[in-house]
Amino acid sequence: MKSKIRILVLLALIAATLAACSPATEQPSGDQVSLILAAYTTPREAYGEIIPLFQTYWLEKTGQDVTFEESYLGSGAQSRAVVEGFEADVVALSLEADVNRIQQAGLITHDWKTVENQGVVTTSIVSLAVREVNPKGISDWADLTQPGLEILTPNPNTSGGAMWNVLAIYGTALRGEIEGVPGDDPDAAFTFLTQVLQNVSVMDKAARDSILNFEMGIGDLAITYENEILVGQQSGQTYERVIPSSTILIQNPVALVDASVEKHGTREVAEAFVEFLFTSEAQEIFAQHGLRVVNQEIAAQTESEYPPVGDLFTVEYFGGWDVIMDEIFGENGIYNLAIATAQGDAH
Amino acid sequence: MDLTLIQGGRKTGLSKWFLRVPALLYVTLMILVPLIVIVEDGFRAGLSGLIHQISVPIAQHAILLTLWTAALMTLINAIMGLATAYVLVRYEFPGKQLLNAIVDLPLSIPTLVTGVMLVMLYGPQSALGAFLSEKIGLDIIFAPPGIVVALLFISFPFVVRTIQPVLMNLDLTQEEAAATLGAKPWYTFRKVVLPTLLPPLLSGSLLSFSRAVGEFGAVVIVAGNIPLKTQTAAVYVLGAVESENRLGASAVSLLLLTIAILVLMTANGIQKAWENRHEN
Amino acid sequence: MKTNIRGWGGWLLLALVVVYVGFLIAAPIGSLVNGAFTSGLSEAWQSLTSEPFLQSVWLSIRIAVVVVLVQAIFGSLTAWVLTRQDFFGKALINGLLDIPFALSPVVVGYMLLLLFGRNGILGPLMESLNIQVAFAVPGMFLATLFVSLPFMVREMTPVIQQLDFSQESAAATLGASKWRIFWQVIFPQLKTALIYGMTLTFARALGEFGAVLVIGGGVQGRTETATLYIFRSLDERQYTDAYVAAIVLGCFSVMLVLLADALKRKRSQD
Repeated sequence: MKSKIRILVLLALIAATLAACSPATEQPSGDQVSLILAAYTTPREAYGEIIPLFQTYWLEKTGQDVTFEESYLGSGAQSRAVVEGFEADVVALSLEADVNRIQQAGLITHDWKTVENQGVVTTSIVSLAVREVNPKGISDWADLTQPGLEILTPNPNTSGGAMWNVLAIYGTALRGEIEGVPGDDPDAAFTFLTQVLQNVSVMDKAARDSILNFEMGIGDLAITYENEILVGQQSGQTYERVIPSSTILIQNPVALVDASVEKHGTREVAEAFVEFLFTSEAQEIFAQHGLRVVNQEIAAQTESEYPPVGDLFTVEYFGGWDVIMDEIFGENGIYNLAIATAQGDAH
Repeated sequence: MDLTLIQGGRKTGLSKWFLRVPALLYVTLMILVPLIVIVEDGFRAGLSGLIHQISVPIAQHAILLTLWTAALMTLINAIMGLATAYVLVRYEFPGKQLLNAIVDLPLSIPTLVTGVMLVMLYGPQSALGAFLSEKIGLDIIFAPPGIVVALLFISFPFVVRTIQPVLMNLDLTQEEAAATLGAKPWYTFRKVVLPTLLPPLLSGSLLSFSRAVGEFGAVVIVAGNIPLKTQTAAVYVLGAVESENRLGASAVSLLLLTIAILVLMTANGIQKAWENRHEN
Repeated sequence: MKTNIRGWGGWLLLALVVVYVGFLIAAPIGSLVNGAFTSGLSEAWQSLTSEPFLQSVWLSIRIAVVVVLVQAIFGSLTAWVLTRQDFFGKALINGLLDIPFALSPVVVGYMLLLLFGRNGILGPLMESLNIQVAFAVPGMFLATLFVSLPFMVREMTPVIQQLDFSQESAAATLGASKWRIFWQVIFPQLKTALIYGMTLTFARALGEFGAVLVIGGGVQGRTETATLYIFRSLDERQYTDAYVAAIVLGCFSVMLVLLADALKRKRSQD
């Protein structure tokens, strides 16, 4: 009888210990601190290398041991997770609008654009991944409306990369940079967008998922970040990069989340980390992982890898993210109209 | 059943509550509260709002895809589950133990692992997958057939294990009598065995259907998740959650919940009716 | 060859079943094992001993153990109350218990998010208590608890139903206390079912994916279970990592259930 009680007590103790061993209850002590990074899917390899560098740097500088917890999701999904309660200290997302969302939720209270370079830590361009030797002969946007072509692009609802893709397609058409599509003609641009969307065969939740599908043998081409293509090639993939004559400059912001750093007491190290991302050390790693960097020096050094684009435009062409989120990705926006038309016709 | 016996015949009013309260609290808090939360959230825009959310083309397609793949799977599973149960109960053959053990495997293997295995075996990069795709034009992975195969895998044990005990307890004399009277085995099966097996077959099938409707782990790996093509309801909910489409997520979740409850109630009802009949 | 199959019809049926089971179940398992070792044994070993993998396994085990203990106590209690007592609403409770089994895991995670997210009903309360539920281990624990609820109850119920009353009444007439009756008369009869239920619950908890994905967020080093680790490895093109982890998880779960099955068979022989 007594032994049974002892067993029960033992079990209860085990349960209590295990339950208490949750990392969430750790508080930063003098020489140990933990930083949570929430990023979009594409730069995970880059951050994988930058983080150890920062850890060494910080240890030397302050004697503090900083451990990182990383999460990589589609930019939109990540942004919403933070708003829902994911206490990330630093967010590195694909587009400004996703950081703005966190700011509007009251979690970012400082002006994150004043940090450096307007908060933009890396850039890339929207380009096309095609199969080895380019069997379908894709050279520019106009080729995307080829009948029977199977295109991969992620879903703008969750993926920042997807939004960039749509902006590139629509913007290029509007600018008159596509053969056969008159410039400054919203209807013509809309039609072109719809035609491209009609050829979309898989729409996964994030840029990484999309390119992985492509690697699995799905589709003839994938519209994606240039750096997604380069990282894939670095890991042995044989697809080729096609840089269109005109495309949009992808600007990736990074920001500190005030609410989290206040709660965790990690403001100092978080600020240092954000700053670190702009140093030439970190920028060089970004460059090695397929990203076009903002650091002029490194950018000049890596120009052969990142050829300039004939016609490069930014979100300013549309009037900024606020306009874009409303007119293009709003509920009755151009994208939703286009995808509805495209899918409707496909049946 | 004399309940007072356990209490040792002493005054027991309070002590049964001592057990009952924690148990009820447990079930209520764990299950009822989340359910209420989702029902409330689903109706936030009223019944019309809910109907609107599930009628959105992407949601509608996801729901229909989920239902028909689950239904097709249930049909195949019913037949093959019955056959497997029959073979395991009535036949003796080398390797029978192995087959019996294999039947249980899907119950223990995590659904995510199931998805990974299927992609390995039938994916476009595999020999088998490439062969099927090029020679027969059959795409399994990232297409509806993949969903059906994944569902078949995870639901396999349900029909088999529901039928087995009933089949084992079946009185053979009736079948033997029919045989001596000259009936062919298939006829005997149809007229003598099958009617008895119908209730467990039905309830096992319904169980596998309701399980399949909510399946996520295996499907998300295997299906390709293309909205309006291969996106099931569960994956749609995930997308809705990630894109903060709360109304959509709650509405479809509520629908899935309702389907699960209705199907389970039916399965339980059949089970009860069969048990009652046999108690007499 | 010992067999009782008469006629070609029987053989055909057997062949059909074997082919079906072979293709449906055995083949995928085989290809997984094959896939894990295509990159060689040393790479597989590296995956097996990598820190992120081990961390994820440790988290999965921690959650599973606590879930099993809670279910062992409360699940059995619930089974007991449902079998031995009659009360208003009993049928409702019974019905509720089946729901976690059929409900989609994503919906489970979402329900918890609605409750404990920053904008959730209990969110502010948890915030003031400084307890993190959403995007943290407690939330994942709750999610796993939810999905595994039916197993224990459904396992214990038939055994409790079949308890031998004569022993209990005999002990009662001899003046034994309730507590003593429970431990020395009732518990031994429940032991096997309890262990079997705990094993099933453990396997189910280890394999949970959808619900912990939604409520936990899959943060490396914080809320990444073994299943989420596999999911992430696929995303990172670390296929060997994913397949090795999948095999380990799969094998372990299978062994658990086989063990439990052996236990059950032993019990029916007693």
